[in-house]
Amino acid sequence: MKPLRASTVAACFQELLGIGKQQKKEIPNESAFLRGLLIGKNILVVDDNKVNLRIAAAALKKYGAKVECADSGKEALSLLQLPHKFDACFMDVQMPEMDGFEATRQIRLMENKANASMAANPNASAAVSTYEWHLPILAMTADVIQATYEECMKCGMDGYVSKPFDEEMLYKAVAKFLVSKRIHET
Amino acid sequence: MASMNPKERRDAFADSMIAEGLLDQQFNQLLMLEEDGGGFLVEVIKLFCDDSERMISELSSLIDQPVVDFQKVGSFVHQLKGSSSSIGAHNIMVACMHFRQFCEQNDKQGCFRALNAVKNEYYRLQAKFNILVQLSREC
Repeated sequence: MKPLRASTVAACFQELLGIGKQQKKEIPNESAFLRGLLIGKNILVVDDNKVNLRIAAAALKKYGAKVECADSGKEALSLLQLPHKFDACFMDVQMPEMDGFEATRQIRLMENKANASMAANPNASAAVSTYEWHLPILAMTADVIQATYEECMKCGMDGYVSKPFDEEMLYKAVAKFLVSKRIHET
Repeated sequence: MASMNPKERRDAFADSMIAEGLLDQQFNQLLMLEEDGGGFLVEVIKLFCDDSERMISELSSLIDQPVVDFQKVGSFVHQLKGSSSSIGAHNIMVACMHFRQFCEQNDKQGCFRALNAVKNEYYRLQAKFNILVQLSREC
């Protein structure tokens, strides 16, 4: 299977959902469709701000996702020791001690190690040998400027959502990654 | 208000807070999340108020120091700005943005005035939030 470009997926989604036409109210179909994608998915939200954490969790739970919260980069790292159950992660950028960029770098490091050792022992787990660890990580940031975007990409994040997110943006962002993952797996 | 059901009363009160400029559209997002019940709105308001009061008291003592640690002040202001913008507390968020600027300029007097502005906005909002919590509990 050819690598799937994020922009292609985004374009498909935009067409599918009619984003850009500025739909204010939820359309039942869209809501049901996204619920289908998010239901039962394990999502980790990382933010040192309790208010933000609670709101993000509620928005994702509304669509059936199973949400866990971490209030620091360190806690996120301990929850993301491999193997873990998470399908996606939302990561605050500005946090004390370990910021979101550093946490992401360390997560990618763990994944690369695990992938390398899997590649070295292809027979060890034949059923999952084609599967590589790569948790979709989306930055949450209040200032969506080019420099932030570049920093996100550089440390290995997959995208970002601006804060405060409205619900619609939050679940669209997740849906994009869950869809692309599903295509990869088939 | 007499002919309204509890949910309509709550929503009408929230709308009036938005119309007054105390809250912005972000708060509508929270009202949408509340529809599934479970006391979400009350919980978030309580989290916000506890957090804000803690920040305000930290900031007050930091600014009272003979030598102000502007970096520390800045990080508390950043926190407060984050939760204000998440809950839609527009005026507090704007006051925090001014506060941030005074921090960057190491302007103690400016910070002092900015803190007072934040406090005034917070107490104004808190009084209305108390009523909103009451109305939410009746739903």
